[in-house]
Amino acid sequence: MTAQSRFQTAASTLFLDRFMTRFIAVGGISVIAAVLGIFLFIAWQTLPLFQGAKIRRASSVALPEGDYAVLGADEWGELPFVVDHAGAISFIDLVGNREVISVYPGRELNKDITAFYYNRIKQEIIYGTSDGHFFITGIHFRPFYEANSRRIDVKTETGPLMRIGLEGVPVERITYGAGNNKMLVAALQTRAGKAVIHTTTLVKEASLFGAGQFITATRFEITQTFSSEPSGILVNSQGDGIVISTAEGKIYYFAESGGKLKLHQVFEPFDDTADREISSMDYLLGEVSVVLTNPQGINRIFSLYVPAGNIERVFGPTKEFRALDGPAAFYSASLRNKAFLIGRDNLASLRYGTTEVVRWEERLPFRIRHAVVGGKYDRLFFLDWENQLHIYMLSDPHPETSYRAFFGKLWYEGYTEPAYEWQSTGGTDDFEQKLSLVPLIIGTLKGTFFAMLFALPMAILGALYTSQFAHPRFKLLVKPMMEIMASLPSVVLGFLAALWLAPLIEARVPSILLMVILILGSSFLFGAFWTSLDMRHRKWIRPGYEWIALIPVLFVASWVGWQLGPLLEKVLFVTTDPNTGLRIADFRLWWPEVTGASFEQRNSLVVGFMMAFAVIPIIFTISEDSLSNVPRALTSGSLALGASRWQTAIGVVLPTAFPGIFSAVMVGLGRAVGETMIVVMATGNTPVMDMNIFSGMRTLSANVAVELPEAPYLGTLYRSLFLGATVLFVMTFTVNTIAEIIRQRLREKYKTV
Amino acid sequence: MEQAVPKMKYFGTGNKPTGEPFVWCAAMGLTLGLTLIVSLMGLILVKGVAVFWPDRAVVLELKPGSTARLGGSEYLAGVVTKEQKILRRAKDISGGEDAGRERMEWQLFLGNKDIYGISFKYVDYADISRTAYPEDLIRIERMEYGDAFGFPVYLEIAGEDPIEFSSAAFLPRLHALVRDVSHRWDEIRKIERDEIGAINLKIERLRLRKKKLDRDVAQNADALEEAALKLTDLQNRYNVLAAEATDLRQQQSRDALVYQLATDQKKRLPVGEVVHFYFPNRLNFIDRVGLFFHRLWVFLSETPREANTEGGAFPAIFGTFVMTVLMSVAVMPFGVLAAIYLREYAKQGILVRSVRIAVNNLAGVPSIVFGVFGLGFFVYFVGGSIDRLFYSDALPTPTFGTGGIFWASLTLALLTVPVVIVATEEALASVPRGVREGSLACGASKWQTILNVVLPASAPGILTGLILAMARGASEVAPLMLVGVVKLAPTLPVDGLFPFFHLERKFMHLGFYIYDLGFQSPDSEAAKPMVFAATLLLIALVVVLNLGAVLVRQRLRKKIMAGAF
Repeated sequence: MTAQSRFQTAASTLFLDRFMTRFIAVGGISVIAAVLGIFLFIAWQTLPLFQGAKIRRASSVALPEGDYAVLGADEWGELPFVVDHAGAISFIDLVGNREVISVYPGRELNKDITAFYYNRIKQEIIYGTSDGHFFITGIHFRPFYEANSRRIDVKTETGPLMRIGLEGVPVERITYGAGNNKMLVAALQTRAGKAVIHTTTLVKEASLFGAGQFITATRFEITQTFSSEPSGILVNSQGDGIVISTAEGKIYYFAESGGKLKLHQVFEPFDDTADREISSMDYLLGEVSVVLTNPQGINRIFSLYVPAGNIERVFGPTKEFRALDGPAAFYSASLRNKAFLIGRDNLASLRYGTTEVVRWEERLPFRIRHAVVGGKYDRLFFLDWENQLHIYMLSDPHPETSYRAFFGKLWYEGYTEPAYEWQSTGGTDDFEQKLSLVPLIIGTLKGTFFAMLFALPMAILGALYTSQFAHPRFKLLVKPMMEIMASLPSVVLGFLAALWLAPLIEARVPSILLMVILILGSSFLFGAFWTSLDMRHRKWIRPGYEWIALIPVLFVASWVGWQLGPLLEKVLFVTTDPNTGLRIADFRLWWPEVTGASFEQRNSLVVGFMMAFAVIPIIFTISEDSLSNVPRALTSGSLALGASRWQTAIGVVLPTAFPGIFSAVMVGLGRAVGETMIVVMATGNTPVMDMNIFSGMRTLSANVAVELPEAPYLGTLYRSLFLGATVLFVMTFTVNTIAEIIRQRLREKYKTV
Repeated sequence: MEQAVPKMKYFGTGNKPTGEPFVWCAAMGLTLGLTLIVSLMGLILVKGVAVFWPDRAVVLELKPGSTARLGGSEYLAGVVTKEQKILRRAKDISGGEDAGRERMEWQLFLGNKDIYGISFKYVDYADISRTAYPEDLIRIERMEYGDAFGFPVYLEIAGEDPIEFSSAAFLPRLHALVRDVSHRWDEIRKIERDEIGAINLKIERLRLRKKKLDRDVAQNADALEEAALKLTDLQNRYNVLAAEATDLRQQQSRDALVYQLATDQKKRLPVGEVVHFYFPNRLNFIDRVGLFFHRLWVFLSETPREANTEGGAFPAIFGTFVMTVLMSVAVMPFGVLAAIYLREYAKQGILVRSVRIAVNNLAGVPSIVFGVFGLGFFVYFVGGSIDRLFYSDALPTPTFGTGGIFWASLTLALLTVPVVIVATEEALASVPRGVREGSLACGASKWQTILNVVLPASAPGILTGLILAMARGASEVAPLMLVGVVKLAPTLPVDGLFPFFHLERKFMHLGFYIYDLGFQSPDSEAAKPMVFAATLLLIALVVVLNLGAVLVRQRLRKKIMAGAF
């Protein structure tokens, strides 16, 4: 072994060293990247919520020559059909290679067909005849399986011939709405050069064997009220409402009440625009809203709701979309949601009623005559003037979302005004998800506010006392106590809040009120009293030991407050029972009567109090640190100049340490904002928008915890909850970052002092 | 000789420092905070311990016309669980004879839920004419319907004459019978859970194998036949075991204890239903202490019954333990690795500083956000992919594509990794520069210095971080609700069946146990004692972990002070 090789590092050592350098760098960076990637993943999951619809051209099919009046489609989008002006239906098989299937409904009745209307919800066509009759043909699509692949079969079935309106007079226009047991048919005919509208209500015969036949129940003529020619008629599925538009731009709304059709409302939807006429009028899914355009292309939605001071539902303007360049030539409403396809010429526009958003708009390379939205909201069919059928695939998984749906006010159907609302599940099929995060954000802030209300005074006063006045030996006691408090599981605090504290203080609110006042007041008064004593007595409590002397004071004050509460209630919080005339002293009744706000057992007071437990140790520890770190020279100087210890604390220490205390409050805020279990357990979890201390709330975090386990993977609710988590993340991360930066600045500052 | 002492101004009352009352006000902040912590901990301690303490049972004689009467009987038996002022919903202050006068009432735990249908009854003081603590009152813990209170009458033993309560042979015989019964229950449990459970698992695996083979029947004819044979064999074994278990169960209901309730009904209870019994009014202090520890042990070691309101919390304790261990195993290497990189290898600059701030702040991000990530990424994305790749035969039943203990541990590891990084960084930073330079000067490479000098010196600090992480992990519930915790798991995540660690299984957790029992349970009043017991246990666990961290840190400080050179 030479001398040199003795001093040479072994190759294996060098190799290991180089390897570990790489390994740690790569490993460390990836761990940090992974941890920071959490946010990116969550945010990435929410992106589809803000994307519009995507349209992809699938195929085009040439239809046989003909003049087609209606384009329709089955639920699967595999067997669309057209109806020509004579009423013949032709089904086009897009998947298999079947020939065009043509059906001539009502041929055996030997009648001339003069009008028809396609009801997409029921998949039926109503035909009006030249002699004042009508019949209904149902189109039944049925999937069947052939050689392991699904195909769609179709059958038509024609119902009985029935009379409507004037006998022997051709039906010029006919429409109907039908539910399970009731049907309302409206027909337009001409009598002596004047248009008349007749309606017939049909009800299903009650039969022992279930499904009976529809029989005529009542007939009406509703013409006399119109000042000009009717141009459009809509009947709803419940069979109890008719909307009629007239040539001069008025809309008449009739609704059934007491077995009679009564005119409820007349209005002019475009009375503020240059062209008042109505070019098109159609229902949106649910038939609570009508979509209107005028010759200028202005596109509005009017919805039924009960305005303040009214008892009946009437139409009112709720939405206005970007204008088309002229009157709408075609319209089709989705059967899955509140989307509708509208347009003219080569312009097609897919719009969403609730959010007032244009999901997709494009000029297509052909002139569109008819269009229809696929039954599953997954396809669009366009028929152009050259009889070419164009099929487009539609991908729009979250049509009901938009920036405004989450953070702005939306005018939901049936509401009297735009509202912020979170309501993710409902009882009925036509229920609309309401996904505004605003009530949840308000709830979060409300919980945080009340938690801070309790936590701030206790934590900051405690920290000030511990760092400035208390004997240093108590720090060794206080710090571990605070650490234990910080580590209390929030599920434990939530459980205590809900099952122990809430019932305990429900009936004793006045006591709590009194205790708060007494505890604060007694300490001050006791301090004042003690200070006024002669020094001989004062020395019994050494400075720095005051907090021990206050323990009995605290107990006495709490006990007195607790006992005197009912007395206070009898003096201040008395209500009179309107029925019996008894005077009742109960805060729980007094509060709703005086403020109009509700009183719940599990309320913000309870949550705030328990959440304070979670927040106090954090605020205490950080502010205590920054208060203790104020350089000794400053305090000594102040004391030496004759300032009292309180003057020093308030005038010198507090301003110097203020940024530190501020950052402590911020970190505490961050914790309160994200607190989950206490809120889930100790509030009713109702999303509300008020700041009433005696009601509950629903916070972002509780909302996620309650709803995410049940949300279908990648559904709208799932992604919306991810959005809630993103908001929560951003809120806490921002708050914490501000706090951290302030704290670092402060540290730099102390270095120079 | 008297000498007038001049009254010094210093002792006068005139010398009052400004703002002294405010100092007292500030002191109240501390007093209040500490008092609240102490009383909260005291409350949990008292309520939690009281759950296991056997109380005396009382028999009440009610006044005629009392509303507390059950079925017209004038007697009620039970344990007093609460004494409170009568709360009236509306406090009428207009007058009336007892307006404003507070009256007291007892909350009585009645037991005998099978007969009464309720567990608790409030009894007004004014309704009680006499109270007694009869020695013969027996309290029976049963397999179903909770506890029973009554007076034993006789023992019904198959093929023998009934043994009257008054006979001397009664008690020894009852003790012997209950002991037999409990052995038999163990046997039944062994057969039903362990042996039949193992067979079921094998059958399930065979079924999946068959499903795979079925895709190509022609090629796998032999294998299919073999699988079918195995399946029949397993079925036969299953039948034998099931018959054995049924036989044992029948034996359990052969003998019976007949007792009479305070309200006069007679009840015949098969001895197999008796878990434990004692005479609450015959116990002396030593007996009570013994019983206290017995009940505590039952809580710690047994499985829950009756929708978690009876029995023990062992699966929840075990689940918490396994999850915390898995989490520590996951969090430790990654956290330390990241910290070593940040402190020892990365160039200290604005980038590293901002990364440090970001990591620091992640510790303040709400735990539910991590739960959301765990559900979206681990469970659905990673778990779903694993299912498609390796468990496609079991689909659509998810294996890893649903919440489980593995995903829960990983989620909590992510949640706690910032804690470990921060603690480790601090520990690394506190190793004096001189020590490193000494090592490097002796010719050690950088990695050798870190491995042999820096890491050992900072080990206590790293350990503190890990303990704090464990405490945080063990006490989190919100994220777990999203990634695999359940109310009642039929199996433990670790058992004797291959492959022993079942990472995909759902599990029980003490924190969720508290939430579920307190909020989802049908009879929350009856569940309260168990919730308090579980709360006490969880807090004890967390506090012990935290105190451990504090102690380790204090020792570390001393060591560094002594070791500085």
